[in-house]
Amino acid sequence: MEEFNIVLAGVGGQGILLASQILGVSAVKEGFNVRVSEIHGMAQRGGAVVSHVRIGEKAYGPTVLEGNADVILGFEPLEALRNIKYASDKTLIIVSKEIIVPTGFSPEPVQYPKFEEIIEKMKIFTEKIVVIDALALARKAGNTITRNIVLLGALAASNVLPVKNETIEETIKELVRPAYLEMNLKAFKLGYEAVKK
Amino acid sequence: MARLKDLLLEDSPGKRVLLLGNEAIARGVLENGIGVVTTYPGTPASEIGDSVSLIARDAGIYMEYSANEKVAVEVAAGAAVSGVRALVAMKHVGVNVAADALMTLAYTGVRAGFVLVTADDPNCYSSQNEQDNRYYALLANLPMLEPSNSQEAKDMVGYAIEISEKLELPCILRTTTRVSHTRGPVTLGKIVKPNLKGKFIRDVKRFVMVPANARIQHKVLLRKMSETLKISEDSPLNRVVREGSNGIGVISSSAAYNYVLEATDVLGLDLSILKLGMTHPLPKNKIIEFMKGHSKIIVVEELEPYLELQIRALAKDYAPNIQIHGRADHPELFPKYGEFSTRTVIEAFSKILGVESPINFREIDEKFAEASKALLPRPPILCPGCPHRASFYVIRRAAGGKAICTTDIGCYALGIQPPLQIGDILICMGASVGTASGISRVIEDKVLAVIGDSTFFHAALPGLVNAVYNNHNFVLIVLDNLTTAMTGHQPHPGTGITGVSAPGKRVLIEDVAKGCGVEFVKVINPFKVKEAIQILKEAMQHSGPAVLVFRAPCALLVTAEKRRKAEPITPARIISEKCTGCMACIRLIGCPALVPSDDKVVINDALCVGCMLCAETCPYNAIVMAEEGD
Repeated sequence: MEEFNIVLAGVGGQGILLASQILGVSAVKEGFNVRVSEIHGMAQRGGAVVSHVRIGEKAYGPTVLEGNADVILGFEPLEALRNIKYASDKTLIIVSKEIIVPTGFSPEPVQYPKFEEIIEKMKIFTEKIVVIDALALARKAGNTITRNIVLLGALAASNVLPVKNETIEETIKELVRPAYLEMNLKAFKLGYEAVKK
Repeated sequence: MARLKDLLLEDSPGKRVLLLGNEAIARGVLENGIGVVTTYPGTPASEIGDSVSLIARDAGIYMEYSANEKVAVEVAAGAAVSGVRALVAMKHVGVNVAADALMTLAYTGVRAGFVLVTADDPNCYSSQNEQDNRYYALLANLPMLEPSNSQEAKDMVGYAIEISEKLELPCILRTTTRVSHTRGPVTLGKIVKPNLKGKFIRDVKRFVMVPANARIQHKVLLRKMSETLKISEDSPLNRVVREGSNGIGVISSSAAYNYVLEATDVLGLDLSILKLGMTHPLPKNKIIEFMKGHSKIIVVEELEPYLELQIRALAKDYAPNIQIHGRADHPELFPKYGEFSTRTVIEAFSKILGVESPINFREIDEKFAEASKALLPRPPILCPGCPHRASFYVIRRAAGGKAICTTDIGCYALGIQPPLQIGDILICMGASVGTASGISRVIEDKVLAVIGDSTFFHAALPGLVNAVYNNHNFVLIVLDNLTTAMTGHQPHPGTGITGVSAPGKRVLIEDVAKGCGVEFVKVINPFKVKEAIQILKEAMQHSGPAVLVFRAPCALLVTAEKRRKAEPITPARIISEKCTGCMACIRLIGCPALVPSDDKVVINDALCVGCMLCAETCPYNAIVMAEEGD
């Protein structure tokens, strides 16, 4: 396989780095070449966060070329839209309904755009959009912090990844805090089932 | 694959694992018997020290978070002149702080391997500037290596140690954000047990840099550099990685090299690529030879035209008929600011070589312009529950909008955003104190200086002593959240915890201030809003420098601790009947967990950690702590 590109987009604190790491480690386990780009430090504090996971022999650089993402995993609708230029009409978008209203740029209360409007704008690039209520499913799993694993479950269910679902589950077991393992495995399952249905 | 600590310590040569560039450098420490590692945390370098911190005890390495980068270089140098291998890591601007030591350490040299890692930050992801530290190698006359991915980052630690010991000179290892913060596969090598038993052999002529000795050592350094040139010429790090047949040659290094490979593939070009891994001194003959085999050379590098200027100078003397392209003739294609991407290089190659890109970027841009009409900006902000938000609210209430507030490097720089808007000048670590001194000398309004705890120890002390000595008139507010938060929660002298999580001697900020001769020194928790306002007002009445320590732990540490103990995090709740929708809470503190909804405010309980600062702002007492099961 030459390259498979995943763009994970959301807000600092949503667990994007761990989700990317799980995908990257899983791919290395299966013998692939991998690049996972991350942004740390100031950019992480509640701001827009994006991580690129690139799998395959042609993945030299850290970032995906515009129009070349196979999947955009949106942890937050606005952030998925912010990274839509990585999509083409072949790109699958999995987007969580969790809304985090941005602050810090206006002294006045901010009006968040309508969810439907955001989806319409995404459709300029691709019609393949799956919406998932990751936060509700994470609560169902036991804690909102498992929303990232819900989304990985949803991604696994989409049957596009070059990495086996069992490998991802195995990596989750290694990388999440043991006290939260059961919760995370449940989150993975809930995300998976939500998309399979 | 196991957790990071086990992974880094794993003694299974040949095993392939996924590592961040910075983690790979830490593994390089382990595989090269490096005994002393020092650092001051700074993005994008932080994970080098943090990773070594995890493994130091098990691996028998001495690791410390030093008070600042200059001290870090000096401590590491002390080990290396005594025969123990050392590595010191810092972000690009840290080298400015350390430069005084580094420039003369080049004269004395070292006796065991000494590696200085500088992690540069093109695009200022988490920095106050995007200076290109390759010029430090040129300025100091030191060898420099530049990895382009995690595997190279690990391997080059070994090359750097080898070069350093051969020449008895410090060797610079320069990364950028995209090398430090990209994960890639790394094949592990053998772990080499470090030797921590040093011996200092006196050699006054070599190590005591009084003018008479320095004049001689400068010549020694220059002689060593001509030897270094030979190493660079023969180094496998400088090599032709692709031999094309279209007469076009590309010279590149570091992160930019990856974009060159991808752009070449996307455009289907049959060109040659000379990859430079050792970029000071440049392999002169290798470059001349490469140039002569081609009719056109393109130099691809981020930030300054460091390679290009030297390559153009070589071309002028040795290959005058060859066309050189790069930043000098195409500043619009290869900007001197920001970072590159594969797109940058595709567009540059398309233009310079007259080939068409298979990707229609213009169409993507047009579509994106339409899609982004629904976007709102999302700058980084203070976290929910952040004690700095409470401190800034206190400052606004006590000082109004009138006081001029100098600020410093850390999370609290985010205080400039609305609605709190605290911070009128920010230059570099510690500058809040010096600039407050100067401003207070020449303006009528009250001056406040804001600085973090770790930054206080890093660079505020000379400024504070100076303020006492010269009687400058301002209030220094130390925002003590008991950690170095921005860079990933490293300890510092004020925490009393060492780099390997062992108990150390705690240095109290208030004791330091008193010891410096500050007469007004008080400590207060900023969440005690009314009391804190009162104390700040008093401090502002004081003539001469006053120091207030606003002490409350970083919210991220508090929540992490609760999660570790599986304790519940109780958010705030808004009593809907009492909320009039006046929006005072949002307008006064701008916490991301406060969300306007149907002309009222609701709490986003996935974000709120229950600091209850918002309750202080509500004129209708509508905000309460949520109860269990709410």
